[in-house]
Amino acid sequence: MSEEEWLRQDRLPHIFCAGCGNGTVINCTLSAVEQIGWKKQDTIFVSGIGCSSRAPGYISTDSLHTTHGRALAFATGIKLANPGLNVVVFTGDGDLAAIGGNHFIHACRRNIDITVVCMNNMIYGMTGGQGSPTTPLGGLSTTTPYGSKEPAFDLCGLASAAGANYVARWTSYHVRELTRSILTGLETPGFSFIESLVQCPTNYGRRNRFKQVTDQIEYFRSHTILVEKAVRMKEKGEEVPADMILSGEFVRRNRPALGVRP
Amino acid sequence: MRLQIDERRCKGCNLCTLVCPYRIFKPGKRANLRGVIVPELDRPERCANCRLRDLYGRTLCGMCQMICPDQAISWVKEEEHVPKKVAIEY
Ligand code: SF4
Ligand code: SF4
Repeated sequence: MSEEEWLRQDRLPHIFCAGCGNGTVINCTLSAVEQIGWKKQDTIFVSGIGCSSRAPGYISTDSLHTTHGRALAFATGIKLANPGLNVVVFTGDGDLAAIGGNHFIHACRRNIDITVVCMNNMIYGMTGGQGSPTTPLGGLSTTTPYGSKEPAFDLCGLASAAGANYVARWTSYHVRELTRSILTGLETPGFSFIESLVQCPTNYGRRNRFKQVTDQIEYFRSHTILVEKAVRMKEKGEEVPADMILSGEFVRRNRPALGVRP
Repeated sequence: MRLQIDERRCKGCNLCTLVCPYRIFKPGKRANLRGVIVPELDRPERCANCRLRDLYGRTLCGMCQMICPDQAISWVKEEEHVPKKVAIEY
């Protein structure tokens, strides 16, 4: 089988804007699912509301498109009702961190055996570009026309502190690494959280000096730094530039998990 | 194997032009029927995947396919060239 067979051919091309990174993350996830060799009938994709949450609609397995922010609650229900199913959640930054924030920390705390792929586009894309909890400091959006004055939410830090078993962050430029991390997440028993920064050319890029889609990808390429390297720099007493995006694997541990297949 | 861009899916974001180590994709110039400026392929037979995929039995490189948000890039089997006899009637 190939990734192409996991897609619902009749639904393509999808409705994401030209150059939207969500499509890349779908590719990476399907590639990882393909590598781990799951069967279509035992795999289920769950999502909430938002641009990213349209993703399961293009995948030819069972899927749930649930209410805003509640994807994790539905996924917990599925996993507890039938631990034999493999559950993957697609979610966005607003869906996960703002509206569904409480579900997120408690899913981490319970360490339920699901994999969450968060496509973080740093803005509310579907509703017209309002600032989200992950809009970086100084980022322009329709609700922060003079630049965001609030510090952004570090979702990986939150997941690590709340008790997830596997936490990683990449961007949509790092397709290989992202695929590898999603694969590790799928293999890990317990809650795995993979955050991927994605470009949003229509709402974020257009307002933040990224004229072309490729400009934002170039930015991701030049402004990411591996966690290990950041730690080394700190040990040497060097300053890690504030606008650098920390990427890599943050946590890999073995806390007792809920809902693991007996 | 032959590299191809599915014109019905491509939305012309030019991400593929960034990642190919051989710079096979070039930003296009003319809009197609759907109004999308699809990238042009510059000597696609250089692609590592086109040349060696059958030999290794797996996808090599494949960066363009992975990063393409619209699942527009694929490889198709080339049909072997069969010489045809043409009967000419006088
Ligand atoms: S990455 Fe895909 S959608 Fe974008 S220009 Fe290339 S083929 Fe078209
Ligand atoms: S598979 Fe690699 S070498 Fe071939 S066209 Fe794509 S990026 Fe270029």
